[in-house]
Amino acid sequence: MFRAPLQRSLAAVSKTRQVGPQNTFQWTTNVRCESCIDRLFTLGPAPCPICGKTLRKLAFTPQTFEDLGVEKEVAVRRRIAKDFNKRPEDFPDLRAYNDYLEEVEDITFNLINDIDVPETEARIAKYKKENAALIELNIQREEQYAQYLKEQEDSERLEREQRAEELRRLDEEEREEREKGKQELIDKLETSDKDAIKLVARARAEAHKRASARIASSNPSLSATNLARARATQAAAMPDVPHVPIQDDWYAYEDKYVVRDTYDDPVSEAVRRDREGIMRAGGYRVEEAWERALRCAIAGLEIPPLQGLHAVESPSPDVVMAVA
Amino acid sequence: MAAGATPTHEEKDTESPKTSLYEGSTQFRHWRFSPEQLRTARTSLNTAAVEAIRNAFEADSAGSSSEVLFLSADEENLLVKLYVSKITQLCGLFRFPEEVEATAMTYLKRFYLKNTVMDWHPKNVMLTALFLATKTTNHPIPLEAYTSRIPKTSPSDVLDLEFLVAQSLGFDFAVWHAHRALWGLWLDIQSLPDISMEELRKAYETALTHVRASRLTDAEFIYTPSQIALACLSLAAPQIATAWATFKQDFAQSSPSSTPSAQPDSGLAAVLEFIKTMILTNGSPPNVEAVREVDRRLKICKNPEKVVGSNAYKRKQDEKERKAEEKRQRKAELARKAMAEGDPFGSELAKEDLDDDDD
Repeated sequence: MFRAPLQRSLAAVSKTRQVGPQNTFQWTTNVRCESCIDRLFTLGPAPCPICGKTLRKLAFTPQTFEDLGVEKEVAVRRRIAKDFNKRPEDFPDLRAYNDYLEEVEDITFNLINDIDVPETEARIAKYKKENAALIELNIQREEQYAQYLKEQEDSERLEREQRAEELRRLDEEEREEREKGKQELIDKLETSDKDAIKLVARARAEAHKRASARIASSNPSLSATNLARARATQAAAMPDVPHVPIQDDWYAYEDKYVVRDTYDDPVSEAVRRDREGIMRAGGYRVEEAWERALRCAIAGLEIPPLQGLHAVESPSPDVVMAVA
Repeated sequence: MAAGATPTHEEKDTESPKTSLYEGSTQFRHWRFSPEQLRTARTSLNTAAVEAIRNAFEADSAGSSSEVLFLSADEENLLVKLYVSKITQLCGLFRFPEEVEATAMTYLKRFYLKNTVMDWHPKNVMLTALFLATKTTNHPIPLEAYTSRIPKTSPSDVLDLEFLVAQSLGFDFAVWHAHRALWGLWLDIQSLPDISMEELRKAYETALTHVRASRLTDAEFIYTPSQIALACLSLAAPQIATAWATFKQDFAQSSPSSTPSAQPDSGLAAVLEFIKTMILTNGSPPNVEAVREVDRRLKICKNPEKVVGSNAYKRKQDEKERKAEEKRQRKAELARKAMAEGDPFGSELAKEDLDDDDD
């Protein structure tokens, strides 16, 4: 007899599609051991030793998930997705599309949980017959899209390779040139009777000129792509509106005092003497402190005090000026 | 003040369409009073408190309040003043800058315009006000370090009241101080022609002591910091103050944005006189003996609802608990009804009676 289920890691799930008018879809999990499958079904379709259904070896697939329920659901969904492949743009409105999605989910649910399987299969068959053309079209669309993605990936890869190649070539050239320059310099130093320092300086200047020429010549290809990218992001970004600071309507007594450059001020002496600027690390400026003090000295100087219980602004009393 | 006003100020004010910075401050908008308003506020606060506490006493045992001698508004103020003066000692202990000291004093004074000492004793409120001031003036100190150096004080003494104090202040933490205005005067007077620095230095020192004295008075509730500072300078060196005031007036006339005023600013002079009198009469710490007497009586007439462990306190807590329970039940009932009607989110808003009671 065959061994108990799940004894070997390479267990398989039997999945068979019976050929028939209903095109039903059956799951049996009675035979799961690989050697049993080999033994029972190598010679062609044979009945399952337990439930008696006719099974084929080809229909067995390797198990991916530990949970057979998940395995089954994945298989069902894969099958359903092949036929029910409509897209949002195939429907007049969102409502219709959502109804369609709900129907698909209904069918899937029924199949997974073995509810009303014959009716559900009939629904699928009906749908397939009605939408054969559209299904075919969508399959083609999918393929085209996959093809497009693949092409894009290929071209990107190609571009990357070319760029790497280019860089390698440039590096190589530069190295050769440097070698050559060095050799020339040594030759010249050997043969010429000019000042050695001048020769070295001229060689350096030439090398520098060549290097900058190389950078200039190699840049265009790179900067062209950069430019295109920058232009694309610029088009997507919002236009840059000039910044307008908030305009408040506060009057800060600006016309009533003048801040001098320096004062005799013992209070702020420590801060001003602080050469390393430790005390000013947070952005403290003694000029601002001075200005604040001056503002405070003048602020509200002419505001008369309140009078009486009902908070009337007191009129300024008619007393002859005698400050102090 | 005398009648027959000259409308110079109004003209100046209406001429500029912008609000000046000081007039936009919370100090100007929320903490500026007339002397009469101050007195009325304190008296009515005191009357209401006495009434409430008397009721609490009566509820505890009938007739017990007849013997109690409650504090008057003036006595309350005296006690507050003592604790205001104590802030200076504490700041000396911690070496806090003047800014912290002045801010804490303002907080304490403002707090007792909204609360009474019979509910909250100034000792703890003072500690909280000072701690709060260290934070709002950017001189923070760890709470542990703060309380460990003050005898018989735990962190909870400070923290328990912190929100109450902040709330009573209406979260108006920024204060315009007279000492900063005085610093501004010191700087600006250096712009005057032929001024003797030696004289100015002496005047500044003296004026600063007057500014410190002014913090014990109600001056900051009535006058602006610049007026107080100028009055203090005027007390110390009258001729310098006059010279500066005249200089500023000329300055204002020469600038194109203000209208020239024909005569010297008499209003300002009168205001300065009032401030000077105020500082000289009220600017010293209260007599400790008198305050001790007030404090002794305060022990008896404290609001029993605020004394932990007393019957009244318990009753108040029970009352709170009961109200909260009632509210919870009403809410549960509403929710249950809504569920019964089938809509877990309740029926339409309009149909529901608005249950928005914050006791």
